[in-house]
Amino acid sequence: MKRYVYINDDNLAKDIYCDNRISNRKYTILNFLPKNLWEQFSRFMNQYFLLIACLQLWSLITPVNPASTWGPLILIFAVSSSKEAWDDYNRYLLDKKANEKEIWIVRQGIRKLIQAQDICIGNIVWLRENDEVPCDLLLLGTADPQGFCYVETAALDGETDLKTRSIPSACMGIDVDLLHKIKGVIECPSPNKDIRRFDANMRLFPPFLDNDIFPLTIKNTLLQSCYLRNTEWACGVAVYTGNQTKLGMCRGIAEPKLTAVDAMIDKLTGAVFVFQIVVVIVLGIAGNVFKDKQGRKLWYVQYPKEGPWYELLVIPLRFELLCSIMIPISIKVSLDLAKSLYAKFIDWDVEMVDPETGIRSNAANQAISEDLGQVEYILTDKTGTLTENKMIFKRCCISGRFYGNESGDALTDAQLLNAASTGSADVILFLKVMAICNTVIPVRSKSGTISYKALSQDEEALVCASARLRMVLENKNGNILDINFNASPMQYEVLDTLEFTSDRKRMSVVVRECQSGELFILSKGADETILPLTYSGQQVRTFAEAVEQYAQMGLRTLCLAWRKLEEDEYQEWTSMFKEANSTLVDRERRVAEVCQRLERDFEILGVAAIEDRLQEGVPETIEILRKAGINFWMLTGDKMSTAIQIALSCNFVSPEPKGQILIIDGKTEDEVCRSLDRVLLTTRITESESKDVAFVVDGWALEIALKHYRKPFTELAILSRTAICCRVTPSQKAQLVELLKLCDYRTLAIGDGGNDVRMIQQADIGVGISGREGLQAARAADYSIGKFRFLKRLILVHGRYSYNRTAFLSQYSFYKSFLICFIQIFFSFISGVSGTSLFNTVSLMAYNVFYTSVPVLFSVLDKDLSERTVMQHPQILFDCQSGRLLNPSTFAGWFGRSLFHAIVVFVITIHSYAFEKSVMEEVAMVAVSGCIWLQAFVVALETNSFTIFQHLAIWGNLVGFYAINWIVSSIPTSGMYTIMFRLCEQPSYWITMILIVATGMCPVLALKYLRYTYRPSRINLLQQSERLGGPILSSGIIEPKSRSSLDKDIPTDSVYEPLLSESPSATRRSAGPTQRLDSVQSQSPPHSTHTRKDN
Amino acid sequence: MNSGTPSSSAAGAGSADSTAPRRNSKRPKYSRFTQQELPACKPILTPKWVIGTFLLVSVIFIPIGVVSLFASRDVVEIVDRYETDCIPEALRNDKVGFIQSDRSKTCQRTLRVPKNMKQPIYVYYQLDNFYQNHRRYVKSRSDQQLRNNGSLQDTGPCKPEDNTAGGPIVPCGLIAWSLFNDTYGFTRNNQQLNVSKRDISWKSDREHKFGKNVFPRNFQNGTLRGGATLKPNVSLSEQEDLIVWMRTAALPTFRKLYGKIEVDLQRDDFINVTLENNYNTYSFSGKKKLVLSTTSWLGGKNDFVGIAYLTVGGLCFFLALVFLLIYLIKPRQLGDPSYLSWNRNPSGH
Repeated sequence: MKRYVYINDDNLAKDIYCDNRISNRKYTILNFLPKNLWEQFSRFMNQYFLLIACLQLWSLITPVNPASTWGPLILIFAVSSSKEAWDDYNRYLLDKKANEKEIWIVRQGIRKLIQAQDICIGNIVWLRENDEVPCDLLLLGTADPQGFCYVETAALDGETDLKTRSIPSACMGIDVDLLHKIKGVIECPSPNKDIRRFDANMRLFPPFLDNDIFPLTIKNTLLQSCYLRNTEWACGVAVYTGNQTKLGMCRGIAEPKLTAVDAMIDKLTGAVFVFQIVVVIVLGIAGNVFKDKQGRKLWYVQYPKEGPWYELLVIPLRFELLCSIMIPISIKVSLDLAKSLYAKFIDWDVEMVDPETGIRSNAANQAISEDLGQVEYILTDKTGTLTENKMIFKRCCISGRFYGNESGDALTDAQLLNAASTGSADVILFLKVMAICNTVIPVRSKSGTISYKALSQDEEALVCASARLRMVLENKNGNILDINFNASPMQYEVLDTLEFTSDRKRMSVVVRECQSGELFILSKGADETILPLTYSGQQVRTFAEAVEQYAQMGLRTLCLAWRKLEEDEYQEWTSMFKEANSTLVDRERRVAEVCQRLERDFEILGVAAIEDRLQEGVPETIEILRKAGINFWMLTGDKMSTAIQIALSCNFVSPEPKGQILIIDGKTEDEVCRSLDRVLLTTRITESESKDVAFVVDGWALEIALKHYRKPFTELAILSRTAICCRVTPSQKAQLVELLKLCDYRTLAIGDGGNDVRMIQQADIGVGISGREGLQAARAADYSIGKFRFLKRLILVHGRYSYNRTAFLSQYSFYKSFLICFIQIFFSFISGVSGTSLFNTVSLMAYNVFYTSVPVLFSVLDKDLSERTVMQHPQILFDCQSGRLLNPSTFAGWFGRSLFHAIVVFVITIHSYAFEKSVMEEVAMVAVSGCIWLQAFVVALETNSFTIFQHLAIWGNLVGFYAINWIVSSIPTSGMYTIMFRLCEQPSYWITMILIVATGMCPVLALKYLRYTYRPSRINLLQQSERLGGPILSSGIIEPKSRSSLDKDIPTDSVYEPLLSESPSATRRSAGPTQRLDSVQSQSPPHSTHTRKDN
Repeated sequence: MNSGTPSSSAAGAGSADSTAPRRNSKRPKYSRFTQQELPACKPILTPKWVIGTFLLVSVIFIPIGVVSLFASRDVVEIVDRYETDCIPEALRNDKVGFIQSDRSKTCQRTLRVPKNMKQPIYVYYQLDNFYQNHRRYVKSRSDQQLRNNGSLQDTGPCKPEDNTAGGPIVPCGLIAWSLFNDTYGFTRNNQQLNVSKRDISWKSDREHKFGKNVFPRNFQNGTLRGGATLKPNVSLSEQEDLIVWMRTAALPTFRKLYGKIEVDLQRDDFINVTLENNYNTYSFSGKKKLVLSTTSWLGGKNDFVGIAYLTVGGLCFFLALVFLLIYLIKPRQLGDPSYLSWNRNPSGH
């Protein structure tokens, strides 16, 4: 599909394409209610509650006033709807602001000021400096005589540097006044979201140049939301408008991610639902049997002799309604509230603020904090993530000479400085390539100092280094470069730029030396793409050695090369290049092909080595997270030796002899297969030893392995705790994430650049580092942090707390619902199994919404262990990873507790309020009070740390309970009139409450105490030592014990089974194809300590 | 490396997001709440505390239990089950037939007072196996109608006892319709014992739930006769038997106040009861009992609370002892790091 844009044509195109009205809104006023309701009701839970609420409208079966379900349901819906509405309103306001901005355009040949929303396709739009671009424009003219202008694209791709944009050559030299009258047609693709491509053509109508098709690229466009900088004015023709702009098309609603905890809660909810159905069926049958056997004899009930056809259904439906409280209606709201608070805690955390840049952490996705605590695999990018991405030119090798000694870097190497100042030809050429072969824009500040704006950190490092070595890139004026070498100026004209792509892995420029008119191609790139392109006869061995040597130091290497061009060779080539550049289909590949025709017979000048220092705290962070049982995979585009070097210095792998690195390589399928089998075998063998095994694979072998040997590779992936994948492409990164996800691991991907975006979006949790490569990754990610070392805190502190808190909150929600539901069920047995509700509407409604939700919400402040303890014992994260705190067995514990408590409340209530005291309303209130008292003590018992808020919530809630009930009891028309006052005056009421609390809590306390003292979980042990100031805290780092003393210490208790039999993977996955592999893994010993290596 | 690869979905999520990086760089405010560093008390279950708690509970519970039990034992209670005895032996094969017939149902009972009973002595009738809490029954009333003279027609929930040919029934519904109608007369030494029927219902019910100007209408006029009739010219707020009956019981066994005897009864007094055995509990084999009882600060005779307190107190004491013994025999250092599994793993160094 193509679109034709007629420039400056006021009649056409108006109706064909949309106007420039931007709309990010999800709703309009009219469709808000139906659309929002529809969305909310697409969730199973909401459908369920709606069904219950509708059934309640049938007065024959409803046990209580329908308000008891409708009230909370409407409240919950209102809360989430108003949140949606508020967000949408804010979006509307932003849109409105953007839409109503005044913009200069040309209509009927006259410049007019109109609102941005009225821009049509084909309109010519005029912008001034610092204006925001209102829609996607094709540049036609700028203030700059060369036809350049600068834009800041931060809002689009997050990159903060200035980018150059130029007008198409067809429009060169058109007078400003004539621009008003320009006519032509642009053939461009239909709206798409590729912000890096605009493969279009333009043809101008007479009197302008005619019949010549000009290619257009993204370089000729100004995209919506960019800012015009350093350019007085620019004008362009609107090609995409409204929501069809590149930005508009990119805007997508991300699929909501579901955490493991959410999935578990859903599963448990399903189980509860089944249980509820069973209960309903059993009680329904019992009720019908009782009715036939007994009920008809109860003359005072007056059962009709012949019932309606649905008679048999009435009692089961009544029980369905009675039991509907088993699934807590408030759980979704409570969890949402809790989750947004977890996210806020991450945002607020001052310890996760980057002190250098002031960038704070941000949780963009509020819903998945629990998953942070359950991470099993971290896939990390290298550059900019582990390293600072602050490139410094360190060493170089120029025509066989190595510059830069052990201690100092090349810039302080006297020999190199000498060579530069004396004008050694090789060195000068090398420096020229460094200074010219790039896309850096020099910006001269008012004081005269030059700073460089560069897209690539490598280029910036090279240009800065060449400037230090007296080859200064002074100015870039259109195509003309001003270079100053040893105070003698030189000028070069850049004819073509053969751009960097991750497939080509090199970039070249064709330049003409202005004085001599000679043509050169200057090239730089990765060794494997440059070294094969030399002219026959050049010895590249020294360079290859240099590359190897530098890589082993963990330096990034770039090979620099050049060649002289003949004029006619260039002319021939440049026409092909133009042609390739104007293709609409598959342009990138064709351009690459054409480029290759020129990039040959190079003379290699030398190798530049650039250091990318590790970020602060990276080795420590990785060590701690590895201790916590998290496996690390490093995915990088760098070469193998650099990657291994970085991996060693980051504590990914212990150095020999503890660690072992296995390399999978090969160029053909067979080689890869053999290599893979060998590595797999070694890994299986060493699994029994406590060896730290890592496998290394490069992009090529990885592709073959993923394609043909997926199964063995998957097995290897599961067996090996560490993997280093080098030379991988963004899509391979995403594939690896997918592979691990298929094995049912929780994955976290962390990266900083645009090439990590796919991996970040693919992973369960995406973390972006707001780094120097722009904010692209941070934008796409669920969490953005300033530095890699904050990951430790994000996972161990925030993730772990979130998981623990949600585990308690969700199970407690079920507990309290079960509690009241069981009492209803028990009561039905003494009310003729007829489906009478013991509790009244007010109590049922308030029980879920107020009494039991408020105290437990404050459990989001609970901390089972202090942050310090967790950091000292990261192994405690195992409990979260394996889902120890929320799984069917813990849930069964809560289920049992609620059953026990229901029995306690029910039995004590009906016995102490028997005979003359057995008034329905009073018994109901005694039972409700009993539940409230019990749940207050349950929350108190399960709270690990009481802050003032928890005390207020737990005990204040009790006060609130009585206050609410007194108020309701003082309304004469309510069914509860005077009940609560009467009860509170009776000594027997209070005595009953104390009895309920003691009977309910003593066994729970006793059991908890026994477990806590004699079968403590690891969390309990750490709690004890933390609070009693035990030996763990004092020693800080635990000294490993000797074998002999250990043997004596180990009790035969089954609780103290070896760690790995309870490792996360062993408990979690029980079924599926990976089972066999798991059992292998579960026997492996932990790799808990690693000697740290300084970087 | 250059981020030179085209990434399709990478660009920003909308115009709203463009402010994010700027807002992001603002330093978050420090407060102990936002940093999750609020001062907190972190109790742990040390043996001292737990054993102490259990001891404390037992120390509190056992006396309360004893006091409650004494209170319950102080209550003097006379219970007389009469539903079978009040049917002539010849007719006991067809009790339902008897109760539905027009025979005289007067019955004489003699009660012996086991202990001195201080006035006021409460007279209850107790029904067993009577489901006042049945779903069909408990809802079959109209509070509107009971309270308000204007709401005669408000008989929605009362079906099937809502209307007769002559208009709406007041009070409507099954509860009112099945009003208990046995009556008791007491004599001691051939002297009439006065049973006060005043103030046997809740004051709040008389004043706010049952209207002063609501009078019975069409009551028990339907085809089916239920229980007692009401005096037609007495307002509902003064029909205390009805008010008591309308406070439905939560359990199938319940007592309702019939009246109060406001003289003391002496030990070994014989009381003759003349009762009209009208109410049909025979069709569902329910029991009927006449109960005379004094009261204590805890209410009527009910040993449950006392026994429960003693049991819980005793159990707590027992648990405290057991924990203490375990603690002494097998002491265990809390928080010993050697119990941490990762500290014991030989491969961990």
